[in-house]
Formats: sequence, C-alpha cells, structure tokens
Amino acid sequence: MAKKILIVDDDPDLVEAVTMILESKRYDVAAAYGGIEGLQKAKTENPDLIVLDVMMPDKDGYAVCKELKADPNLSKIPILLLTAVVSKIATTRYTQQGGLETEADDYIDKPVEPEVLVKRIEALLTK
Amino acid sequence: MPDQPNILVIDDEQIMRDGCSRILSKDGWSVLTAENGKKGLEEIQNHLENIGVILLDLMMPGMSGMEVLDQVRTIDPNLLVIVITGYATVESAVEAMKKGAYDFIPKPFTPDQLRIIVKRALERRALQKEAEFLRKERERSLRDIATEKSKIKTIINCMGDGVLVCDGDGCVVLTNPAASRMLMTSESSLLGNSLSHCHLNSELSKTIEESLQAKDIGYTSVSQELSLGESQQFFLRAHTAPVRNDLGETIGSVTVLQDISHLKELDKMKSEFIAMVTHELRAPIAAVEQQLTVILNKMAGEVTEKQEQLLNRAKERTKGLLNLIKDLLDLSKIEAGKMVQYKEPLALQEVIQRVVDLMRVEAENKKIELQFSSSPKVSLIHADRNSMEGIFTNLISNAIKYTPEGGKVWVNLGEEGGFVKATVSDTGIGLKKEDIPRIFDKFYRVKTTETRQIIGTGLGLSIVKSIVDAHLGSISVESEEGGGTTFTVLFPRESNPSIS
Repeated sequence: MAKKILIVDDDPDLVEAVTMILESKRYDVAAAYGGIEGLQKAKTENPDLIVLDVMMPDKDGYAVCKELKADPNLSKIPILLLTAVVSKIATTRYTQQGGLETEADDYIDKPVEPEVLVKRIEALLTK
Repeated sequence: MPDQPNILVIDDEQIMRDGCSRILSKDGWSVLTAENGKKGLEEIQNHLENIGVILLDLMMPGMSGMEVLDQVRTIDPNLLVIVITGYATVESAVEAMKKGAYDFIPKPFTPDQLRIIVKRALERRALQKEAEFLRKERERSLRDIATEKSKIKTIINCMGDGVLVCDGDGCVVLTNPAASRMLMTSESSLLGNSLSHCHLNSELSKTIEESLQAKDIGYTSVSQELSLGESQQFFLRAHTAPVRNDLGETIGSVTVLQDISHLKELDKMKSEFIAMVTHELRAPIAAVEQQLTVILNKMAGEVTEKQEQLLNRAKERTKGLLNLIKDLLDLSKIEAGKMVQYKEPLALQEVIQRVVDLMRVEAENKKIELQFSSSPKVSLIHADRNSMEGIFTNLISNAIKYTPEGGKVWVNLGEEGGFVKATVSDTGIGLKKEDIPRIFDKFYRVKTTETRQIIGTGLGLSIVKSIVDAHLGSISVESEEGGGTTFTVLFPRESNPSIS
C-alpha cells in the first residue's frame, strides 16, 4: 500500500506543487492549509509522514511539531520541516519562540528540488 | 628702561655723588643722585621699577643712612643696598648688613672697587628678577594645570558615556558617575580598588587586564559588547585601549562605556521586521519556483523544448531573487555590526581549507582545477569564523563562476609585513580597467556578453569588502581583461598570540 504523506502549509500554491511531486512518486497525499487543520488531519488521516511548513499564521510549524511530539499516538510520525528560513535572525526568532528546532526529524529549505524531497522522505520512512 | 637698571647714589657729599656718577656712567649705567635721605627715598618712590642698586652713605646729616635703609627695606625688600661707610668702622657695616644691606664699600675706594661691587650687585639683581619671573611663571602653570584638571574632571563627570581609567597595576584611578551607573556599582567600590575587587563584569576585567599586558605596539583598542543585569537585560559597549608612555610601555588603560540597551531594543525590532519582510518576500517567490520545478520535471504534463528553455530561465531568475534577499539580509546584518562580533583567534588556513573542500564539487562540475597552497606557518588573525568563510566562499565561487571550463583557480596563504595575506587567483575572463574601481560597490555588476549568463546579485563583493573593513583588513584586485583576476586580502596578525 502506498505511504500517506500529510502536507501542512498555508500557501495553497506550494501545497499543490508539493502534492504533484509526491503524487508523481506514487505517494498518497493529504493536505492541510494551516497549523490547526494540520494537527486535526494528523489524527484523522493517519499519515506515515508529515511535511510541515514553519511560518504559518494560525499556529506555526514549531508549535505544531511540539504538540505532535507530545502526543504518544502521533509522536512516532516522522516530521520533515519545510523552512524558508534563510538567516540566523529568523532562526533565532523561532528558536526563542519555539525552542525546539531539533524536535523535527529533518528540515529542508523551500523551494525544493523534487529528487531531494523524495530522497529525504524515503530516508525518514525507512528509518 | 626696566632692562637697564638705574643706580641711585644717596650721599651728602657732592664730590662723592659726582665721582660715583662719572665712574658708573662711563660703564653705561644710568645714575640718579640724591643729596640726603629724604630726597633719596623720594627718588626711590618715583623710579621704583627702574632702580636696581642703591649706594647709600651711612653718615649723613638729617636722616641717617640706617634710617634710610630701614625705610628702603619696607618699600621693597628686594632692593639691593650697598652702604658706604665713611670712617670705616666694621661695626656700622655689620649692623647695616644685619638690617638687610647687600654689601658695603669703605671710603675711600678706587673706581675699580666701586665698579666690581656694583657690577656684582647688579648681577645679583638680575638673578633675583629672573627667579621672581620663574616663580610667577610656575605659579601660573600650576594654576593652569589645576584649572585644566578641574575642567577635565567636570567634562568627564558630565559625560553620558562611562569612563574607567586603570593604572598599570590594574587599580581604578578615575571613573565617572555614568560608569558607576552603567556598571551598577558605586563610585567608592570602584575608585582606588584593583580590578579583581571591583566585581566588574568578568569579560570586561579580562579585556582591561589584557590591554594592560599588551606589549605589542600594534595592540590598539578592543571593542566588546557586555550584557548586565539579573536577566542580562542591559547592554553596554565597552571600548578599551592601553595608555602608553613615550617609551611605548603600557602604563594604564582607558575604558569608555556606552549604554546600548535602547539600540539593542531597536535592533531586535528591526530583526523581527526583517524576518517578517523576508518571509513575505520569499514565500511567494519560493512558491513560484516550486511550481516551475514541478512543470520542468514534467509532473504537470509534457513540456516542449522551447517552453523548457523559457521556464529554466524563469527559474534562474527566481533563484537570483532569492539570493538577492539572502545577500540583502547579510549586508544589513554586517552594517548593523552583527556578522563580525564574535572575533576570536583564528587560523585562516583551516577556514580556507574547509571552503576549498566545499567548493571542489562546483569546480569539478566546470572542469576547473582548484588548488590551495599555504606557507608552513601562518600567524593567527583576530576574526569572526563565519564572516571569513563568507569571504572565501564568495571569492572562490566568483572565481569559479567567471572562469571558463578547463581553467584554473588557486588560493594562496602566507604572510607579508605583519599581515596575513590570502590571494585568490583565476584564469578567468578578467576585468576591464574601468570596472576595477567599482567592483566593490553595492549592486555593481560587470555587464558583458560573457557575464550576462551568470546569475549574481551584485552584492557579493560589497559584502566581502564590508567584512574585510570590519576586520581592519584590506582587499585589492589585479586583473586584465581576458587574463585572469587575483584578489588579495590582508588581515592584521592576531596581536596577542598567547591568548590562543
């Protein structure tokens, strides 16, 4: 059975593009367009892996990540953080607020090359 | 005139007055005469400034010589009186000397005797005047110094910046209210105490002690940021410099403190603003590029060759935009002094080796030979590691970018005249003469048919230059159109190698 991946990002264009990449590699894809929706779908969709955006208006990726890792039913789902963080300034800000950069299993800068994304996802799924 | 002192002869005998006048005038002195004590005193009052020596007959009718002598002494004790003792009795001469007469001359005397004694008295008078002048001068200098001191003290005390001065033994000898306020202590617990007893911020005491031990004349000043307060909420910038005597020995140190808490606050707001703007700018571009990637990977259907060509070009432009945003951030950080505040003793060799290793793939992809050579022993420099990696990544990747396939890029590290010198050379397309002076300008890019295909933001070299400047270094370039380019970077050697 195909593995299911949940994409959480507030930018629908980006969700669509990533969905197309993953579908072309025969993954099942579920999408959520915000942090809160992402948390709900993590429970209902039963994904094998979550691709999680960092900067979202309702609840940012670090907060979502923290809640997921705190939930014993969901803590095993690998999380791939999708960051647009380019500078230490932004990292510092989010480290201060979230303080858990390391709780995600991997992170990747967007935009992302399809083969890189797929390689990272495969690595996390076979871990 | 004051320079040419007069001689006053007080004698009741005309012949004496005339005789003395004649002898002394012949030697160029001007002579006044008085026939009795009363007139003599009048002359003295009238010409007080000009009279240098008084020749006074002791035996005169009316006011006696002794009486005149007494009065002269009260008018000006510095006036030199030579008594003329008529019927030479040693007693009267001794008595006159006791009363303050300078010398005596017994009658009868020869012209030479008179000349010698008067000349001696005048010399004495000149010395006296000079001594008086010097004393006044000294008094005035002391007063000036006192005024100057009080002025400086007032200036220092009124300053908004904190001042902390230590002597060679690390004892605080001068401080101002601003310093005690910023260091959150009292003046009394600073002044007169040695550094170790002042409970200063440990980084600051360390810097001051290092500046006191600095032997190298090249060691000038150290600037550091300190955080104070229970939750480190106050920020100070401290500039510490050694004070040297004329032999170049360190005899103390001066530290100037600035309260930068409000700047920090602004800076934090700015950082958050930048982080926000970055996200707002980057997110849509990233989305566009992601979509282009999907199409180019034919995940949204077939793409014609022409479409692929156009989309590839579009993707390069979005990549360029993303790099521009990144470079702008770097630049604003450097200008805010952020990138280079973690200076440490650094072996440039390691830094360059790391960068060269990282760039090797990029070079191999273009079939460019990338080499790094270094002198066996190169001094450390005082630098920020990330900034140094930035500089060499930039220079080497530029060299690779602007060198055609099959070319060569080589990096060399050595020392030259107190500086650590690194060069990055290539066999690339080179620079036109008119472009050389402008390549370090912000947003300047060399525009030729060859460079049009190369993506760049035009900020790289200006960032490199800002970093080099922030490290008190220099950067220069030598190039010939079509004949390759060499960038030379110089950094001052670490001034106190013992720290490492």
